[in-house]
Amino acid sequence: MKQFTFVVDADRCIGCKGCQVACKLENTVALGQGRNKVCTIGPDGVYPDLQMYFLTTMCQQCENPSCVQVCPTGACYKDGEDGVIRIDRDLCIGCGSCKRACPYDCINTNKELRVSDKCTLCAQLREVGEVPACIRNCSGSALYYGDINDPDSEVSRLLAGVDPAHIHTLRDFGNGPTVRYILRNAQWKDVMPQDCIEHSVWKKGVSKA
Amino acid sequence: MEERFCLADYLGALGIGGLTDAPADDGVLVPGAPCHGCSGDGVREVKTACRACIANCGVIATVKNGRVVSLKGNPEDPMSKGRMCAKGLSGIQALYHPNRNKYPMQRVGERGSGKWKRISWDEALTTIASKLMETREKYGAEAVFCSTGGGGNPEIWSIARFCNIFGTPNWFEPGCAQCYLPRVLAYTMMYGGVDPSIADSNALELYFTEDTPIKALVLWGTDPSYSCPASGGGMVADLRAKGVKTVVVDPRFTPDAAKADVWLPIRPGTDVALELAWIRYIMEHKLYDGEFVMKWTNLPYLVDVETGFTLRAEAGKDGKPDTYVVWDTVTNSPQPLPYPWNDALQPALEGTYEVEGKICKTGWQLLWERCCEYTLEKAGEICTLDPKAIEKAIRIFADNTPSGLAIGVATDQTPNSVQAAMAAATIDLLMGNVERPGALLQRFRTSGCFDMPNYPVPVAAGRLPNEQLKKRLGGRAHKGLGIWWAGHPSSVLDAILTGEPYQPRVWIDRSGNKLGATADSQRWEQAIQKLDFIVHVYMYPTSFSAYADILIPSEEWLETDMLVETCNTLVARQAVTHLWETMDETLFWSKLAKKCGELGHEACAKAFDAEYMGHDLTYWDSMDEFLSHWVNRLGMSWKEFAAKAPIEYLPKDQWRTYYVYKQADPKLGGLPGGFPTPSRKCEIYNDAMITLGRTGRPFSPIDLEPADEDYDPLPYYMEPVESPLTDTEYPLTYTGGRVPYYHHNTLRNIPWLREMYPAPELWIHPDAAEKYGIEDGMWTWIESRRGKTRGVAKITQGINPGTVYMERFWNPETLNTPTHGWREMNVNMLTKASAPFNPQVGTYTLRAFQVKVYPADGAPEGVWLNPEDFRPWLPIPTEPTKEVQA
Repeated sequence: MKQFTFVVDADRCIGCKGCQVACKLENTVALGQGRNKVCTIGPDGVYPDLQMYFLTTMCQQCENPSCVQVCPTGACYKDGEDGVIRIDRDLCIGCGSCKRACPYDCINTNKELRVSDKCTLCAQLREVGEVPACIRNCSGSALYYGDINDPDSEVSRLLAGVDPAHIHTLRDFGNGPTVRYILRNAQWKDVMPQDCIEHSVWKKGVSKA
Repeated sequence: MEERFCLADYLGALGIGGLTDAPADDGVLVPGAPCHGCSGDGVREVKTACRACIANCGVIATVKNGRVVSLKGNPEDPMSKGRMCAKGLSGIQALYHPNRNKYPMQRVGERGSGKWKRISWDEALTTIASKLMETREKYGAEAVFCSTGGGGNPEIWSIARFCNIFGTPNWFEPGCAQCYLPRVLAYTMMYGGVDPSIADSNALELYFTEDTPIKALVLWGTDPSYSCPASGGGMVADLRAKGVKTVVVDPRFTPDAAKADVWLPIRPGTDVALELAWIRYIMEHKLYDGEFVMKWTNLPYLVDVETGFTLRAEAGKDGKPDTYVVWDTVTNSPQPLPYPWNDALQPALEGTYEVEGKICKTGWQLLWERCCEYTLEKAGEICTLDPKAIEKAIRIFADNTPSGLAIGVATDQTPNSVQAAMAAATIDLLMGNVERPGALLQRFRTSGCFDMPNYPVPVAAGRLPNEQLKKRLGGRAHKGLGIWWAGHPSSVLDAILTGEPYQPRVWIDRSGNKLGATADSQRWEQAIQKLDFIVHVYMYPTSFSAYADILIPSEEWLETDMLVETCNTLVARQAVTHLWETMDETLFWSKLAKKCGELGHEACAKAFDAEYMGHDLTYWDSMDEFLSHWVNRLGMSWKEFAAKAPIEYLPKDQWRTYYVYKQADPKLGGLPGGFPTPSRKCEIYNDAMITLGRTGRPFSPIDLEPADEDYDPLPYYMEPVESPLTDTEYPLTYTGGRVPYYHHNTLRNIPWLREMYPAPELWIHPDAAEKYGIEDGMWTWIESRRGKTRGVAKITQGINPGTVYMERFWNPETLNTPTHGWREMNVNMLTKASAPFNPQVGTYTLRAFQVKVYPADGAPEGVWLNPEDFRPWLPIPTEPTKEVQA
């Protein structure tokens, strides 16, 4: 079975967050919401001996997706064709179960349509032979996608050239995240996307005078 | 049936006729993608180029029924290679911003009251031109001054050109001496080729990353990941991936610092001390390229220590350089060294000699004496660095040649600016990192479509009458500004406030926000109150607009046409749409000159006479006419060119020309052409600086009065005027630097960017935070001797412990409040516009001054921080309009 997913070369990500805007432009994602998020991991250590890397997170295209399991209407499903988890907006009742079930906080809400919304690897672009917007525009050329189950795919060949010790996934709760992270030049940290606060103003909440 | 809601369907379902292709204003749906699978009626893709910063990345814009609906990078661009950053991708939100300047506006209330009326273009131009003519008549043309800035579809040379033709010597840019010009000046005078600034789209050797043999890259005060992610940021990522070693010199732990082999978190403002230590180490350990230093730099030349000038045996004839004098170790005597070299001589590189009763030293000797006190330990002490880390960094650079040192804007922002650039050039030149494959310093071929650097508008410098040139504010003291024919901001400020040497009265500005961009904003606000008349030309109102009398609506980059050279490729920025009554700035200045001509300004009238203007080019009535002039050199009209662009004007192997200095020059009878400097050698000992200071040559067409002090031919270290070594009241050192969401003061009104970075972070080390009672995420006052403002504390190990970092900011959401948006979070209320200035170019102190920090009660009143706050700035659908015909 095919499993389309992302492979992220975290050594190459330069933390510019262009992928977040590329996604919003392509997928009409609302303010305050996002299908993807670049997390700054670090700096860790003691000055001046530090490490820092960037972790681009998005739907992890899990093998056993908890979002699909909890969906009461069958709107959230794993596409048999490419293994990508999708939400049928006609069937979605906007209950938010999938959002709560996702261990990585990678489902957002389209308030106007009252449906859940998530990364589809830009299905609408792939259908017309284009690559997902985040990949197309990535300044660090850090993002790749393809069928991880096909040994001849670009992503499989990429991974085959990397020491397995340098290939990571987000924490696996039995859901089997398929997104692979390559990190050779820093020590991998087990961090969840929802724990990454990317701007200091959110660390104490918004306090207005 | 999933995903069937494309934007067009959604708006169509709402029954909003005519809006179905538009970016939505429902506050939630942001400008959408083309509806894939919808019928393709009226959909076209336009290859253009971004101008959200100065990098000009190639873009493919999707346009549907006249409306821009999507943007993506164009892979044909050899620098950005199809990548596009957050700033560029936000172009649609900038284009369709509800608060665009839509029509020319005239102030009807008190200054700052925010009351305006719409006027016609003709009324606007007539009003402005009449005021200019009246001022010129009463007070002289010099009472008019103009300014520009690097942010937001920046226009540079049109401003200088208009001033030259109108007859005022006073235009300035708050960048210029504080941004890039110090480096341009140093590299031009020392080597004669292009400087290695990555953020200014140089170091072009590196963009064909598969080919370049560079082995080590030093990023000194520059962070391509933040300043130009899609071009330089991606390029450096490619180099690292292929094994190029990197060193980063930066007080901040930036993305490029995090990925570097060595990070040197320098104390801000001490860069020249560190550079002198690098030079000393390279000289002492003989790591330099001895052959190149001896034959292609002027370091063996003898210098009269009393005058500071190199000795000349004979003046140059027939285009050849002067014959300089070396100390020949074979005969133990001074000997003339005819260009380029004499194998019979064995010149001494170091030493002190007596020549005809005068004490002379070699350039090398003088350089050594200048740097010899800067041991690794001494530099470590001054710069708060580990000497072992400094040594490791130098070794990476010097043991892995070809290597290169890319110096960034950081060192341009203190009065030690030109010296830092001279020292950086010295380091690469000593290593022979010049014009060989892998070096950053190159003179590659160009398209020949430009007569000016970077931007095609001819500056027409010769049109400024000499008597007016002498009146340039700051022009006598800071003659290095002459390389860009520019004035000195602080001298303009002082003249406005004091009336000395004369009173400037009328200001035309095109830039984002002078109150956010110029040092010591408070004093500029006082100055503004003294002016008779102010015009602001920009795409949207900023704090500065609040003080203007006329607002001129300029075009966003998606509305403009421009010719762009990108490595071996020519790109067309082309108007993808046109909205309201906006005008291309490059056209505006022409229209204004025309109106002045109609009102009796003779030089402005003659500027439309092609024969009279010659190489300075007649003013243009349309962008098509202007741009066709340049691409006619390719045998095309602008329209023909734009339809074909991007075009590769040379294959990369022909475009890259290495070792240009070794090429035979027919004008020199077949001798190698050398470098475009007076000696045709790399002038590391730069006695041309002395001449510059005394006369303004080679940039001034006339001899100007000498500066108060000679400019030093060698770099020297100057401790920052406000220093942590002596300051007990303000204990922390301030530095600034880019984030990848904004360029200069632009884009603070863009919802997608503000929701990511709603306010400036104030980076502070945990030890300092504890000492001053600062908690993570706390609103914090930052205060200098000039003012105070607020930022949000980010406690991080990733900052030099004695330093705090905060980026420029202003708040468009409080534009119509008493602050006009420039007081809440503006580090330029802290910066220093007063002396000391850099001697050559007048750089003031934008970084490396002292501050204190303390907790604030909360955020400034009225500022927006929550993502939903930015809803009023989401794009509104707008029908395209025809270009205005003023």
